[in-house]
Amino acid sequence: MRQPGFFRKLHASLLSRYLLIIMTALLFIPAVLVIIPLTLNMAQEDVPKEYEKYQDIKELEKIWHKEAAGLLGSSPERINNRLKALSSAYSLAAMFWVDGEGRTRLSLESADPRLWQQNERRPIPPVWTAAQAISFMKKSMAYNPKPMNIVAFVGDRAEAGEGFMVMQIPDAIIERHYFDGMSLRFTLVMFVLFTGFMVVSLLFFIQIRKRLLRLETAMAFTGEDGVPQLIDPGKPDEIGRLETAFNTMVTELAASRAREAEEEGLRKRLVSDLSHDLRTPLTVIRSHLHILGKEQLTGRGQESLKLMDERIESLGVLIENLLSYNLLSSGRMTLKPERKDVLRLLRESAAAWYPLWEKEGFQIEIDLEGEPLHWNVDESWFRRILDNLFQNIVRHARSGLYVGVAVEDREGERVIVIRDHGQGLGSGSESKGAGLGLSIVDLLLKRMELGWKVDSTKQGTTIVILSLPHGNLNKI
Amino acid sequence: MSVTLLYIEDDREIGSAVSADLREREYAVRWLESGEGAVEAAAGCQLVILDVMLPGLDGFTVGQRLKRAYPNLPVLMLSARTSIDDKLQGLEFADDYLTKPFHPDELAARIEVLLRRTGAVLSIPLKLKHLMVYEGDNRIIEAASGKEILLTGKQFQIFSYLLRHLGQILTKEQIYEAVWGESYIEGDKTLMVHIRYLREKLELDPAAPEIIETVRGIGYRVRA
Repeated sequence: MRQPGFFRKLHASLLSRYLLIIMTALLFIPAVLVIIPLTLNMAQEDVPKEYEKYQDIKELEKIWHKEAAGLLGSSPERINNRLKALSSAYSLAAMFWVDGEGRTRLSLESADPRLWQQNERRPIPPVWTAAQAISFMKKSMAYNPKPMNIVAFVGDRAEAGEGFMVMQIPDAIIERHYFDGMSLRFTLVMFVLFTGFMVVSLLFFIQIRKRLLRLETAMAFTGEDGVPQLIDPGKPDEIGRLETAFNTMVTELAASRAREAEEEGLRKRLVSDLSHDLRTPLTVIRSHLHILGKEQLTGRGQESLKLMDERIESLGVLIENLLSYNLLSSGRMTLKPERKDVLRLLRESAAAWYPLWEKEGFQIEIDLEGEPLHWNVDESWFRRILDNLFQNIVRHARSGLYVGVAVEDREGERVIVIRDHGQGLGSGSESKGAGLGLSIVDLLLKRMELGWKVDSTKQGTTIVILSLPHGNLNKI
Repeated sequence: MSVTLLYIEDDREIGSAVSADLREREYAVRWLESGEGAVEAAAGCQLVILDVMLPGLDGFTVGQRLKRAYPNLPVLMLSARTSIDDKLQGLEFADDYLTKPFHPDELAARIEVLLRRTGAVLSIPLKLKHLMVYEGDNRIIEAASGKEILLTGKQFQIFSYLLRHLGQILTKEQIYEAVWGESYIEGDKTLMVHIRYLREKLELDPAAPEIIETVRGIGYRVRA
């Protein structure tokens, strides 16, 4: 059971997989060192058969020296004949011999002159002086390619004074060339190996990159519910574990969204039931007050009925505000902001409140002329803001008998200004109960990225509503 | 001719008090305590008053069924709820909406406006200052002389739109969009010109209009 465990572990870690690739690459270097000589041996078979006898230079030297030793004291004719015989045995080599006086006696050409490259075989001097001998030696050392010269003294002794004999083997047929070919092959194998290593590494990283990108895409794209989609967890390695963790997170997020939605639903239902339970008895009381009002009552009785009716109306408003505030402050309300002409909304809202202001004897100044003012607002909630502000004026700034609604320029921005001449928000009985309505206004304006400034004195209150740089579509 | 109202309300105390009040205002009232059989009961009614929270079928479902059966029957929703979502959901089919606790006078006023808007009471002539308006016959008579005042198509459309929303202030945009059926562009003088001609025909003194009132900064209004 150890083996599968080990492989699973290997499979489960990118690090170990990459280490495996590197180890394999490293192990290949000694392997190459073994493989190349093998291919070298095999390559020897590639040497043409007729070249084989020239490959072992030592053996050739031995033969040449033996022949030279055997010719001690021989006549020139005999030496000529022997050389001719040797030349026919080693037809690709060139041969000559020089007698004791330094005269070249016989020069035999190679059977295949094409093997000889330029400069390789130079004219042999007919008479050898010491200077010429040295020049021959130097030249055969200096030129490239240089032929292999095997030189032996006749009699195999210099003291014999019978001259010397030379066998010249062309460079082209010597195995060294094949060995050069081998080194090329060696480079090629190494190149293939390293390229292979690079390709494997590249594929390895491309695969990692592809999986990371897939994960990134999965994270970036969210469904309609704002939760990313689950992804198929692939291999159980580091990225696979990341994918699993991501899936767990998505599942938890979805569950938490569902819980939130459920809570939102519960709270809405609670608020709605509460509202119903509070308003129903109020409606009953109100209709009965109305019935009572038709009875014969004294002036004081009628007055007290009117007061009760007004209080019921206020209670209705209070319930509305209380429950709205509950929903809003818990973040359980969804706003749908759209680009709207707020001046139009202001005109429509003012039109609805106008009869009441008129009835209360308010002086009304409305100045909403000019180009439409487009802000990003949720229409029904924006109306709610205006309703709360106008309601506050009727209920808490009645003493001023003035309401002003205008669009004005403040520091280059068009703003909405709502004025009254009441006794101010901070003062005494008039402001009681205004707080909740204004808290709702504050919450809603913040949610719509609108700002507001309240300037309240004993002489009246001015409320300025302005679009914060973010929410202002007019600038775009 | 008596106007018949269908009133659906599950709370008996409210139901009996409101029905009694409406009967006193000379409406015939059919009161149901649930949405069951509402569609059948609506036959021959001129308006429906519908509570949102009902046992069994809720008010929205009942309202939608009624609208499907009688598309021209005005529906006034009564709600004890707070949420604005309800308002939107309700108003998709409802013609008006009133939140509890409402004053019976307010309910009566809304009923009157709705009946007028949907033309259920057109046979009753409307007296406006020196004018008698027969909306059913599209006739406007100067009461003192008995002379008929003839309006052009657009003038008539503007005037009837204002009459349908008697007592309500209507903004320039609302009138323009209702009559011309396209978006109002700020600065467009067309409506102002039409109102001026309309006043020349209707008003005793067009410089001091009494019928079509200008509400400064907002729009126009015809008061009963």
